[in-house]
Amino acid sequence: MPFVSNTLRPYLAAVRSTLTAVLCLENFSSQVVERHNKPEVEARSSPEIVLNPLTISRNENEKVLIEPSVNSIRISIKIKQADEIEGILCHKFTRFMMLRAENFIILRRKPINGYDISFLITNFHMEQMYKHKLVDFIIQFMEEVDKEISEMKLSLNARARIVAESYLSQLTQTCELIPGHKRNFSNFNFLNKSKVLSYRNFRISEQG
Amino acid sequence: MILLDYHNVVIEETLKQPIVGLEPAVLDMTVVDFDGVSYRISTPQSKNIIRFSMLMQCFKELIQWGAQEMLQKEYGAYILPQTESGYDFSLEFDLQKLPEDKEERETLVKKVSLIKRNLLAQPFERAFEQQAQYEAEEQTNPTPILMQIHYRDQETIYIQAQYDRVTVIFSTLFKEETDRIFGRVFLQEFVDARRRPAIQKAPQVLYSSKDPPLEIRHLTEPQNENVGYVTFVLFPRHFVEGEVREKTISQIQLFRDYLHYHIKCSKAYMHSRMRARVQAFLKVLNRAKPESPTVEKKTITGKTLVRA
Repeated sequence: MPFVSNTLRPYLAAVRSTLTAVLCLENFSSQVVERHNKPEVEARSSPEIVLNPLTISRNENEKVLIEPSVNSIRISIKIKQADEIEGILCHKFTRFMMLRAENFIILRRKPINGYDISFLITNFHMEQMYKHKLVDFIIQFMEEVDKEISEMKLSLNARARIVAESYLSQLTQTCELIPGHKRNFSNFNFLNKSKVLSYRNFRISEQG
Repeated sequence: MILLDYHNVVIEETLKQPIVGLEPAVLDMTVVDFDGVSYRISTPQSKNIIRFSMLMQCFKELIQWGAQEMLQKEYGAYILPQTESGYDFSLEFDLQKLPEDKEERETLVKKVSLIKRNLLAQPFERAFEQQAQYEAEEQTNPTPILMQIHYRDQETIYIQAQYDRVTVIFSTLFKEETDRIFGRVFLQEFVDARRRPAIQKAPQVLYSSKDPPLEIRHLTEPQNENVGYVTFVLFPRHFVEGEVREKTISQIQLFRDYLHYHIKCSKAYMHSRMRARVQAFLKVLNRAKPESPTVEKKTITGKTLVRA
């Protein structure tokens, strides 16, 4: 695992061990309807086969809800959103993924209320895939989604800065076109500049 | 390409061949520009006569602020008295009556491609002249008219000259939530960028969403929060007559297009980034599937072995 912060490590470790423990699913046909075989965590046809849900939270903004049942589990993740920008980026990103839920076999098309993204793993998935790799996927997703969102936010800010600066510097250059135009330095800057200049002159004269 | 061009490239490219190169060609095309401006370039009668018409939402308002004189001055010889129906303004070029000098023809093409900029520049010119007048007369509290240019539906430029400055206010509408939030990030940077020593001399930029600035508060009721107001405060050093003034005008009037262009660009960038990231996630997930051995098994006689 690459560098992760001190609170993230135990959080991810807890999610990993819970998932490993919980992912012991078996084929289970419906007790209510003949020849139905539905994920019980979604169908909830009889209460005794749905187990107690479990929440692991890092803080109030980041948590994972794991709902186990006899033949399926549902994992819902709430992703950190510190401000409006992260909120919109997170929404866009999860939406983008959920539109491609067909390819992500275990992804649920809609998140559970109060969470940003949900996965649904059934016993049929477990028959097709390695359990430890599946757990790895969930953990890696949790790690990287935060990173991706903060990187996108940084790049947006960097872009905004460059855009603003290059626009305004166009307007500044117009001032410099005027020869002998009175410069409008603030006092502080001017002092600093003259200090640097005199220091440089001093060095030059010393060398000479 | 961070900065946008002031002129319309399509118009320039289209007119270059017939006007500069003097090669007549059949033309009939509609060209669009920023802020819903559209042009039609056609050769209705013969190849030698090119008609150029323009449709602009705020044309009438610009005429009010003195655009007619500018049009007479810059394009006078080519103005078509009978404007093409459905358009605001028409020019006509007879290829046999163009200036002899090639360079003159090149400037003509350039001038035509700058027509939108020249029209929108009129209220700015007027405000700058007013400001100079107030300063000369030492009128410290003038009450100039607030020039309004409704350059798009629901979006307006307000220009007002004062004793020592000219204020330009843009109202801009963000159609989606994402645009609004991205727009806020960008505008905040415009406000903050002046702290950098290199661009301290740039005009001051103020930004408010929802509440209109004091200058125009009497005109509009507080709108929904999708509307943003950007104020540029231009001091006389920003519009010294000549090249400086022209450049400032060109830059300022493109502000809205520049802002929205970059918002769209960042959205496109985010999208390509998400695509790449989702690909990577998919790869990780597919690793969980064991590779099924697809090797075909043969019996000793060469028949394929099929498992029951």
